[in-house]
Amino acid sequence: MNKIMNLRFLAIAFCTLLTQSLISQQLINGTIQDTNKNPIPGVNIIIKNSLKGTVTDFDGNFSLQANKDAILVISYVGFVTQEITVTDNNYYLITFLEDLSQLDEVVVVGYGTQKKEVLTSSVSSLKGKDLAKEPLVNAIQALQGKAAGVQIVASDAPGRASTVVIRGLGTVQGGRDPLYVVDGLLTDNINNINSSDILTLSVLKDAASLAIYGNRGANGVIIVTTKKGKTGKLKVSLDSYTGVRDILSKVRVADGKSYVTYFNEAALRDFNNEKDASFIELPSQSIYNTNWLDEITRVGQVVNHNLSLSGGTENIRAFFSVGLYDEKGIIKGNDYNRLTLRSNVDYKLSDKLNFSHNVSVQLSNLDVKNDKLFTTAYKQTPIIPVRNQDGTFANASAYNNVGNPVAELLFQDERHKLNRIQASFNMNYKIIEPLTFTSRFSIELDNNRFIKFDNHLARVEAAGSAFSGDAENTLTIKNENNYRWFLDNYFTYDKTFNEDHHLKTTFGFVSEESRRSHNEAISNDLPIEKNLRYNINNGSNRNSNGEIEPFIRLYSYLARVNYEYKDTYLLNASYRRDGSSQFKEGDNFFGDFFAFSAGWIVSNENFMKGGIFDKLKLRASYGELGNQNVPLNVLTAGDLNESRYSFNGTVVEGITIDSTVVPLTWEVTTELNLGAEFAFFDRRLTGEVDYYERTNTNAILDVALPSPYGLQGFKDHVAEINNTGVEVLLNWSNQVNEKFKYNIGTNFTYNKNELSKILNPFFFKSIGGNLGNGQFTKRVDVGQPLGSFFLHEVEGIDDKGELVYKDLNNDGSIDENDKRYFGSFIPKISMGLNLGVNYNNFDLSVEAFANFGNKVYNGKKAQRSSGENTEAVAFNNRWIPERPSNFEPGAFNSIPLASNFFLESGDFVRVNNITVGYTIPSENLKFFSKLRIYASAKNPFIFKDFSGFNPELPGDDNGNPLGTSGVELDAFPNLRSFYLGINTSF
Amino acid sequence: MKKINNNNKGYNKLLFIAALVFVFSCSKDYLDVDPNKPIPEQLNADDAEGLVNSIYSAHLQWVDSGTEVWNINSFSWIGVSSITSDNAEKGSIPGDPGRDKDLLDDFTFTPTVLSFSDLFEGHYKGIQRANQALSRIPTFEMDAALQTRLIGEAKFLRAHFYFRLAKMFGGVSLITGRDSSLERATLEDTYKFIEQDLLDAISALPKKADYTLEDLGRATQGAAKALLAKLYMYYASNIDASKWQNVWDLTNEIMISNAYGLMPNYEDVWKDSHENNQESIFEIQGHGQLPTLVGIQGYSQTQAPRGGDDNLGWGFNTPTQDLADSYEAGDTRSDATIIFRGETLFDGRLISESVLNPMYNQKAYSSTAPSIREGEKNIRVLRYAEVLLMNAEAALETGRDAASPLNTVRNRAGLGNAPTVDKAAIWRERRHELAFEHDRFFDLVRQGRAGQVLRAHGKAFVDGKHEYFPIPQVQIDKSEGILIQNSGY
Repeated sequence: MNKIMNLRFLAIAFCTLLTQSLISQQLINGTIQDTNKNPIPGVNIIIKNSLKGTVTDFDGNFSLQANKDAILVISYVGFVTQEITVTDNNYYLITFLEDLSQLDEVVVVGYGTQKKEVLTSSVSSLKGKDLAKEPLVNAIQALQGKAAGVQIVASDAPGRASTVVIRGLGTVQGGRDPLYVVDGLLTDNINNINSSDILTLSVLKDAASLAIYGNRGANGVIIVTTKKGKTGKLKVSLDSYTGVRDILSKVRVADGKSYVTYFNEAALRDFNNEKDASFIELPSQSIYNTNWLDEITRVGQVVNHNLSLSGGTENIRAFFSVGLYDEKGIIKGNDYNRLTLRSNVDYKLSDKLNFSHNVSVQLSNLDVKNDKLFTTAYKQTPIIPVRNQDGTFANASAYNNVGNPVAELLFQDERHKLNRIQASFNMNYKIIEPLTFTSRFSIELDNNRFIKFDNHLARVEAAGSAFSGDAENTLTIKNENNYRWFLDNYFTYDKTFNEDHHLKTTFGFVSEESRRSHNEAISNDLPIEKNLRYNINNGSNRNSNGEIEPFIRLYSYLARVNYEYKDTYLLNASYRRDGSSQFKEGDNFFGDFFAFSAGWIVSNENFMKGGIFDKLKLRASYGELGNQNVPLNVLTAGDLNESRYSFNGTVVEGITIDSTVVPLTWEVTTELNLGAEFAFFDRRLTGEVDYYERTNTNAILDVALPSPYGLQGFKDHVAEINNTGVEVLLNWSNQVNEKFKYNIGTNFTYNKNELSKILNPFFFKSIGGNLGNGQFTKRVDVGQPLGSFFLHEVEGIDDKGELVYKDLNNDGSIDENDKRYFGSFIPKISMGLNLGVNYNNFDLSVEAFANFGNKVYNGKKAQRSSGENTEAVAFNNRWIPERPSNFEPGAFNSIPLASNFFLESGDFVRVNNITVGYTIPSENLKFFSKLRIYASAKNPFIFKDFSGFNPELPGDDNGNPLGTSGVELDAFPNLRSFYLGINTSF
Repeated sequence: MKKINNNNKGYNKLLFIAALVFVFSCSKDYLDVDPNKPIPEQLNADDAEGLVNSIYSAHLQWVDSGTEVWNINSFSWIGVSSITSDNAEKGSIPGDPGRDKDLLDDFTFTPTVLSFSDLFEGHYKGIQRANQALSRIPTFEMDAALQTRLIGEAKFLRAHFYFRLAKMFGGVSLITGRDSSLERATLEDTYKFIEQDLLDAISALPKKADYTLEDLGRATQGAAKALLAKLYMYYASNIDASKWQNVWDLTNEIMISNAYGLMPNYEDVWKDSHENNQESIFEIQGHGQLPTLVGIQGYSQTQAPRGGDDNLGWGFNTPTQDLADSYEAGDTRSDATIIFRGETLFDGRLISESVLNPMYNQKAYSSTAPSIREGEKNIRVLRYAEVLLMNAEAALETGRDAASPLNTVRNRAGLGNAPTVDKAAIWRERRHELAFEHDRFFDLVRQGRAGQVLRAHGKAFVDGKHEYFPIPQVQIDKSEGILIQNSGY
């Protein structure tokens, strides 16, 4: 054996010597960079058919001796291996292309990572560098239309989060938000995370991936991993953009002349169409024609800068970033700014011991302006000016009860200051080769301040009225302090036995504590000078309230086992036992959550080799998840004011409990997932298909026992809520040549949401979608999707121009019993389309998003009554005796019943993003190592049926199906934005 | 760096120990977090009296969100217990139905009439409060005498609520807690349930004289006996005639106890200045004086004279001409019961000639606050005069002396002894003595002649149907079919 080796070595050596003597060698230099012009250190360069080779240094540079016509083989994990033939040149700039087959892609999952190739669960992941191509305030926005099964209802209000629903809404009263995990820290939103700092974003969707998060897994989990420093020379990046924003789609309201006509017609109807002496008509010549929406809005402006530093030595790697975002919102005075700081450092203390810390700080300020202003502007009559000639604000009390939108805007003196610090300290210790111990302590501190100064006196005086209130002004200052900490300790065991058996297990225990507190102080009659008015001590009538809430503590055990046989047969089990201080029924604080999954990579079987599939993986999972964020029946004794009585003329106090305490526990969701992943055409076409059935088996809803029990309503586990869906993800990527690559991705989600079963006959069909005028638009019921509209049905318009409602139960009167269901605001189908093209130094990305199958309610139109303005369309098409209409009723002043007249299709297709970038060739750069400039249009177009501003309506209560989700009332409209930006590195 | 490497083993052990200590030190103590608000479990002996006060309070206001809801003693109760009878009619003006009082007056009501809902729900809310008190107070460590008394009061009040439900709806669901069955009990079982509560109350409650003045208005042993006597009267009339003996026994006990006596002047009984008088056995207390109004909302206001100079109230539940005409000459109760148009009342108030109805209910009139919604008026629920009349009827049924108690009542009203002492005489006396005291309609049903009397009065009373009112439709619907509707509806 040895001899043969020696002989071979000799032979090669000889040949090498021979060629060296025959052909002259030259010294070749080169730089290897990725498509973003970033140098890649550690790349292997080997001369083909030789043992000679080298590795690039920190700056991606290499040099070696090679002959002309020698072939250099350049390889690196995650990139397509390239071969370069040596020519007479002695400098080579090689652009390395990423390996799109992503065979080695690693996905972050709970308490660890897994290779995507052998994953048996449904996880969508996005890379930070894909997010960085376009301007983003919040990374969640970028998820819209990119991940199947993830429904994002975007809000464009400054500083406001979008609502996220993963695989359908599974709860009514419980928390609806997914769990967010930022570098191991569990939190409830990522508004504080600068999207430029994100390395990867994983969305865990099925039980197999979620069970490790136990009683917080039921709504899905979004894991954010932030960037780390890279070994090598210091790299400084500065990314900036600036842009303008305005309302994507406006609703045209009636102008002054139309308003007067409508007003007079409606008044005539109030007089039963008979003008008597007391009937007063508005003169048809109005002086003013105020456009209130224009008066309260402006073109919004955004500026964002992000500076990051990254670098490191062998033992210490550091990443630091500072981000500054400043927005002047589209409502005048609605300003928002945010400063984010991050420091992520990794220390290699020894071969066995690694330590890292991630610290992030957010400071933000928001000058609050109510969304209700949009409704006020919509309703206010155009025939009054903003200000009277004497400078006071005009009021419309002669016409309606709506305030002056500009006055309301100006007198809203309200500011929110949200500060958040997140830090995690992480230690990895390799005990013996396959066994690693990880210990992590993380903490999150929130300190929020809400300041509101309400100047009643100025408000009244500005309206030209006499002041008669108690206090001239009121200052309210509220402080909120929340903290939570986590201590995670777990072991990872990762070993391959006999080549074919790969075992990876994680097991450990985690504990958590959180506590919220708030206090609020109020005082009256402060001096109105700006420097004095925010000091509670300067006021009178001071009073305060506040609470330190009880601790919420969790203590949990977790375990996960992955087993792979021959990289083909995959098994996975995960388990979490959660103990929670919030649930102590029968002294048992603990709940068990688990999942099993299995996968089969069919394409690795011999019989599939050489077939059309580059990859075919089938997988299945089933598990139980929990939602601990549920309302508890907190019943406090003696809080009733209806229990007084008197004896012998003296009042006595009573105490009673008019309800009952049903001990509640977490909601348990079971989820079945069947999926397939496939790749064709040299992995240029990849895709995934998933089918899921999620059932919340014990959803909490209101229960109203029949009156003989004499108890007020309470909450109980009474329903099953089912979400069944299909997700399809297809991606075509092609690197045509070195200059041209493109990809087209599309995803499709179908979800059927239903309150499928009722377990308690006394379940109360709670109503919702309150329009604030006595009309409710929604109701919870079995057999219906959550948030279903429950409305009167309009038959048509009668010969008096009035809406005619169907008497569904034929009892001769129109009442609650004549309402029926008309579908939900929750879309059945959503789709995303993403296109990316790189040609030479140009890049283009286009993203579109669509949703279908839902209904939205034009709440502001439905709320309109006496003397308020109406929509131009409603005016132009209204019924008048000379022109009967079946589209719009005649002018009226009464409050219309909640009916399907105001219900419209929520379908829309919107282009979310068009970004064109140009990267200046690095040869032309001196100071910079990279410079890209781009232009971006966000939401440039929408195609919709809805007559309102915007069919995307998160509602007033964070997506509560019984709130105003899907009802356009006091809603912030979608914006379109145009940005210019640069990405630089030096 | 080197050092750490060298100490690897020590580090190793330390880590494990730290980890293990952490695992095992963590226990339920960590998870057992105290709440920061008082919870029902923390109610204690100090709250016992409050728990019972709240049952009394169930008589007063019910304000549910949204729709107009009335307490169980005013507008809805007036409609169901009085306007239905031959003593009263809807009153007010023709255009004001008082929500549904016209339907009650004419017997054209249906199960969706809201007055029934108010009363059905309101009484059960009171029962729930009694159940809360009865489930908690026995568990408290407290003064035994007070504990016994409070349990007695709760049982009395629960019996009072159930008795009223039984009079209105027949046999009802007997709820003592959240686990009770919703199925309606028979009338007899309902009576038996009330009987047991009242027997318990009799043995638990102090006599009126044993209460201090500050407790004036609480349920007494005498009140429990009087209410039980009345229950037995219904029991005897509707189910088991042998209960007349019990009626006689109990009324006789009250009479010989000398704890109560008739007021010399009938009219004085309802004056604000004579609340909780010697004749009174149980009253619902209204307190209409500032700063804290704890009155029976709307009781006086809905019945006070409408229109005229003062426009005191809404003018509902007005006396019928038939009632006015039925008094014997010289009966002082006629003027004490009825406010006549143009009359000057005992307190000097002139009732204008221009009020909209010829007669109004004087027993609801409050001198101190005739027109305010949350007034001073106490409702006299049980009076000694009724004890005498029950005694008379029981005596007649059991062959004893009925004339003495009957004549005591007549004599006080300025009348001579009854020419004949028979059922008709006693019933007639009940009509006049107890007019507008929410007894007449139920009394007619008990006497078995409601149809005959009311049809003669022009009402569409149907025998076998209208003896009991319908269970509110909304309750039938909510019960998922467990509550069965009364026959005929």
